[in-house]
Amino acid sequence: MKTRGFVLISLAGLVAAGGLSSGGYFWSVGHVRRWTGNPTLGFVSCTHCHGNDLSKTAWARPRPHHPAPAGLAVSPDGRRLYVALDDVDEVVEADAESLAILRRTAVAGGPFGLALDRSGRRLFVACRHQDRVAQLDLETFREVDSLFVGVEPVALAFTETPEGERLIVANSGSGDAAVLSLSPLKEVARPGTGREPFGVAVSPDGRHAWVMSRLAEPDLARGGASAHPAEAGFAHLFLPAAAELTHLSPAGGRVLRRVPLESAHLSEDLAFVPARGWVLAPLVKVRNLVPITQVANGWVMSSGLAVADLQGHVTQVPLDEANDYFADPAGLAVDAAGRRAYVASGGSDVITVVDLDRLAAWLEQADDATRREAIRDLSLSTEYVVARIPTGRNPRHLALSPDGRRLYVSVRLEDQVWAVDTERLTVVGKLVLGDGGDSDPIRRGERVFTKAAHTFQRQFSCRSCHPDGHVDGLAYDFDGDGIGDNLLDNRTLRGIDRTPPFKWNGKNPSLQVQCGPRFARVLMRTDPIPPAELEDLVRFLNSLPPARPRHFTELNKPLSPAAERGRQLFFATHRPDGTPIPIERQCQTCHRPPLFTNRLKTAVGTRGPRDLTDEFDTPHLLGVAASAPYLHDGRARTLEELWTTYQTNDLHGVSSYWSKHQLNDLIEYLKTL
Amino acid sequence: MKPRDLSPWLTVALAVTTLQAAETTPAAFKDIPFPVIERFENFGKAEGIPTEKVHAVYKTTDGRLWLGTWNGLCVRREDGRFHRYGPEDGLSHKMVLQIVEDPQTGDLWIATMRGLTRLSGGRFTVYTQTNSGLPNNVVYGVDVREGRVWVATAAGAGSFNPKTGEWKIYDHNNTVMHEPWCYAIKATPDKVFIGVWGGGIIEHDPRRGTFKEYRDPDRDFHYDLVPDDGPINDITSWLSWEDGVLWQCTYFGFARYEGRGWKTWVEEKTPLLSNFTQFVWPHRRVAWIGMDRGVSVTDGETWVNYEVGPKGEGLRTLYRPGQPPEVQTMPTALANCFVLGIYVDDEEAWFATSNGLSRGVFAPYPRPATVARARP
Repeated sequence: MKTRGFVLISLAGLVAAGGLSSGGYFWSVGHVRRWTGNPTLGFVSCTHCHGNDLSKTAWARPRPHHPAPAGLAVSPDGRRLYVALDDVDEVVEADAESLAILRRTAVAGGPFGLALDRSGRRLFVACRHQDRVAQLDLETFREVDSLFVGVEPVALAFTETPEGERLIVANSGSGDAAVLSLSPLKEVARPGTGREPFGVAVSPDGRHAWVMSRLAEPDLARGGASAHPAEAGFAHLFLPAAAELTHLSPAGGRVLRRVPLESAHLSEDLAFVPARGWVLAPLVKVRNLVPITQVANGWVMSSGLAVADLQGHVTQVPLDEANDYFADPAGLAVDAAGRRAYVASGGSDVITVVDLDRLAAWLEQADDATRREAIRDLSLSTEYVVARIPTGRNPRHLALSPDGRRLYVSVRLEDQVWAVDTERLTVVGKLVLGDGGDSDPIRRGERVFTKAAHTFQRQFSCRSCHPDGHVDGLAYDFDGDGIGDNLLDNRTLRGIDRTPPFKWNGKNPSLQVQCGPRFARVLMRTDPIPPAELEDLVRFLNSLPPARPRHFTELNKPLSPAAERGRQLFFATHRPDGTPIPIERQCQTCHRPPLFTNRLKTAVGTRGPRDLTDEFDTPHLLGVAASAPYLHDGRARTLEELWTTYQTNDLHGVSSYWSKHQLNDLIEYLKTL
Repeated sequence: MKPRDLSPWLTVALAVTTLQAAETTPAAFKDIPFPVIERFENFGKAEGIPTEKVHAVYKTTDGRLWLGTWNGLCVRREDGRFHRYGPEDGLSHKMVLQIVEDPQTGDLWIATMRGLTRLSGGRFTVYTQTNSGLPNNVVYGVDVREGRVWVATAAGAGSFNPKTGEWKIYDHNNTVMHEPWCYAIKATPDKVFIGVWGGGIIEHDPRRGTFKEYRDPDRDFHYDLVPDDGPINDITSWLSWEDGVLWQCTYFGFARYEGRGWKTWVEEKTPLLSNFTQFVWPHRRVAWIGMDRGVSVTDGETWVNYEVGPKGEGLRTLYRPGQPPEVQTMPTALANCFVLGIYVDDEEAWFATSNGLSRGVFAPYPRPATVARARP
């Protein structure tokens, strides 16, 4: 009797549980369908919309910090070497000969770029994470002055002009250059530059300064009227992008010339060669408008050097060889006589040595057509590349001693600075700053991320398209449906923890799949990244915080009135006249905080003439203002264009009732995410 | 004679020459407290200006002369000919209405009939109502102060902070502006003045976020019933500000505001050449007023008008306080009597007209012209 009762109760319980489960299942499916407006959607986890907490993301959690060297500077007498350690907020002074550390000082805010004054008494530091420039007195090795500049200053240069001393600061996050006067630090002007300025150079006479942008933008002037931004369409997507070399007058910050570098991007350094009247910039020649899968043909990207004269004439020459590439050129150093240039390949762990005499001779005899095509001829590098010096993992910044006999290399992912004898081209010493972080999976993952050896002939690394894990601002051609079709905007990798699936079609459920064997076969054309390294890579990617579009001084402050109005618009459930906004068309439904994505595919009317589907993955909006262009094919170059030129009849949020005031307010809010 | 014996004579000769140089102002203009144009040099299609209608003329701090025309932006080359930039070069629209320079960066900001354009280092960047926070594509006026860009558009005024990318709109929804049709804007060290077509003048204090409206107190469109009581009319066709003095152009007269009180002029009762005032360029507290019948120049007391006579001759009329007008015939005339834009510095004056460009060559006068500046 007892057994029978137990069975009956159990059966009843099972039926009840099944009923509850079924009911729950159907309720949840209905709930999701009701909220998304998608009648075909099946069961999805509650965590798509609920239970998310930014503090639980990998990028919000504490992580190990490493004394990775960034900017370098050598004192005018050649006796001291200064090293910026952005990850541990320190600047180190070392003996340039023995490489022994002499002094350390704390400099808050991610000290990244360094510049010395002419006397060697003051060291200026670009503090990337606090948007400021700090001045160190080198007698006391203490910070004595500081000035907030633009967003994310990364490089700076000192010069003396007839109007006084000047610092030129590249603000990578705000796309401008701060021209500062000294004693005390004060901003003279803030001219705009290309996108993400990263390199600065000045002429010794104080008459010229140049700033090099890291990212390229469509060169609209070349596209003519058909590519005009006021005209709705897609023509601009097929224009080659160009980075910008901005030529300034350092005294007052006047813009003298903006020189486009066609199809060039990822320039992270710049040098002026007084002896030749050249400005040199390392670059990545990117070919995003031809199928990116054609790696074997060398179509994707290659490394080069831009040679610009004072009149703005530019010749791009290759640094790669026909079957061997030297990815991610970063640091650049040129000796005082203008005889040699050194270029650090951060992806291939090599310093390329360029004989500038031989390069000049080649340029002298080349006609205009040959110069124009030079960057495509990878056999050309043998004319002027005289040596390749192997280094440790991820060489980035370079500095030369005043006599040019020693080259210092920040070997970033090994926490070391290497000294190279430039006569013998051999490594003669190492400044060991840390243990390299081998025990830290995030550090190991960063090594994978920056390693070009995972692609065919070492053509590129993950970083080549995702500098600092972010975007390069380009849409790439995937040849799934023909050349020139299916352009896909490059999405940021920052702030992506807990935001699967990945890819614009939402087909990759995890980063392991996204970066896995298929990716290796299709894009990298090599063996897949080994599983252990892949796990490290995923740890690294998940550790990347969202991009920061706001100025450091504005963080953690209340929203501005405009941003607050924009916030109310973002979370609006009714129009001003009381008409309810359908749930599935409210901003907050798909871009649900705190991640600002529900991680589902949604059709918002953005299907283009070359797309195969209506539905695209909902991207997160963290740092969205810094990740232009927008939409899956990058057709919208500004946030405004999402709701003007490319507005989709209220499918991508109900925007038809917005005034221009409200649109501006919304964008001010989006800038705060 | 030994060379050293020459020195006293050379000294005397130099002194005489210097004295003569200082006294080169023609006697006829000695009591005119600002430079007087002795002749006009005219430029048109023969010099490469692409169209007869020139809306704006502006000389940048590097000395280059820029034109805004009905058919593109032009810059004067060293050989004296004009080079045109159009939409095919990146300009937002061929019809250019105003040009200003950011004195710090040297960037040109260009108001056009379809958007705002920045020309910086030879590169054009376009801001429209669809790709940016620009209030409206019809940009009548633009000004720059301390890096911040101000625009007057057909749907309100706006400001753009290139450092932050933030746009703000000022119109009838959030200010005391009567209507949003803004024709002119001028940023001063602490205020921004907005000329509203039909709404008088709006004074905006950006630091406090306040707005103050100046309207014609008599509210009569055709007559200035009570002189000097406020803006002469609510139809502000242009305005400008310099050295504490605000100048207002309307189609019904001209007005000045010095912070204490208003002064108004109409053609019926004052030397003002025409009530249809289109543009004003203040220079050293002297107003150079462009209108449909020529140019009036005044410091508020003395006037000099430049007209095109019935036979196409240049006419200059001097109005000295308390004296009868003196009409003089000039060797050359303005390219056209309808003056749409003006640029004046200590060296010369330029006039954008509806049929070409004119350069006003000053009669010799003691430079710098500090007389006018010293006046109240």
